[in-house]
Amino acid sequence: MTGKSGQTTAYKIALASMMAALALIFSYIEALIPFSIGIPGIKLGIANLVILVSLYILGFGYTLAINVIRILVAGLLFNGLFGALYSLAGGLLSLAVMYLLKKTGLFSTVGISMAGGVAHNLGQLLTAAFLVSTIKLFFYFPVLLFSGIISGILIGIITHLILKKLPASLYAATGRAKNSKKPD
Amino acid sequence: MIRKADIILAVILIVLGLAASYALSAGEESGQMVRITVAGEEYATYSLAEDRTVTVDKDNHTNKITIKDGAVSMTFSDCKGQDCVHQGKITKTSQSIVCLPNKIVIEIEGENQEYDAISR
Repeated sequence: MTGKSGQTTAYKIALASMMAALALIFSYIEALIPFSIGIPGIKLGIANLVILVSLYILGFGYTLAINVIRILVAGLLFNGLFGALYSLAGGLLSLAVMYLLKKTGLFSTVGISMAGGVAHNLGQLLTAAFLVSTIKLFFYFPVLLFSGIISGILIGIITHLILKKLPASLYAATGRAKNSKKPD
Repeated sequence: MIRKADIILAVILIVLGLAASYALSAGEESGQMVRITVAGEEYATYSLAEDRTVTVDKDNHTNKITIKDGAVSMTFSDCKGQDCVHQGKITKTSQSIVCLPNKIVIEIEGENQEYDAISR
C-alpha cells in the first residue's frame, strides 16, 4: 500500500486529477450562483476548499498543478480568459501564502485559509490596479480584506472537518502521516 | 482547532483593515469634477454639478455614465459582470466606479486638485 515509487506516483496523479475535476466543478457552481453584492471581487471561494485539502494530502507541487489547471480550464469554459487572469494572480498569491504559513507549523487550517483568502483578494486587486492603471482601486482594499477574512475562516473550518474525516489510508498512500500533519 | 497564531493573525488583519478604511475615509470630501479614464488614459472630465449622460464607445465596448443631482453612476455597460452598474451612485472624492472588463474608471475629484497641480 505504501509503495515507495511508481505506485505512489500513479496514485497521486490520479488523486490530483480527481481533485482538479472537483475544483473545476466548485468553480462552476460559484460562476452559476454569483452572490454579488455590488462590489467586485467578493466571493466565497469554495474551490479553495479543494486547494487547501490538497495542500495537506498532496503537497505544494501537486496543488499548484491542480490550481493552475482549474483556473485555466474554468477560464476557457465559463469565466472567460480575462477572468482567468485575475483568478491566476489571486490563486497563485493565495497558494504561496498558504504554503508558507503551513510550513511554519504555527497555524491551523483556519488561520492558513484566512490568510489565503486575503492574499487571493489582494492579488486580484493588484492585477486590477495594474490593468486599469489607477491606484484609486485601493479604496476597495478594506472591503476585500474583510471579505477575505470572513470567507477564509468559513473555508478553513470546513477544510478542518474534511481533513478529519478523510481515511488514514489516503494520507499513507500519499506519503503524508495523518497525525503529524493533522491540524488541531 | 484554532491556535494562538491564528488569532494574532486575525487581529493584525482586522486592525490593518480598520486602519486602511479610517485613512481612506479621512481624505473624503464631496467632489466637484467627474473624471472618466479608459485603459489608463483620460477620456473626459465633466462637472458634477451639471446633469448629463455620457456614452463611452471604445474598443468595441459601450458604457453609459449618468451625472445627476451631484452624483455619478454607470447606467449601462455591455460587460459580463455588471458590477459597475450594480454599484450605484457615487458622490465623494474617495469613491470610484470601475468596470474592469471594459477598463473604464470613473473617479470623483475635488475642485482644488486641478489648481494644486498648476500652482506646483
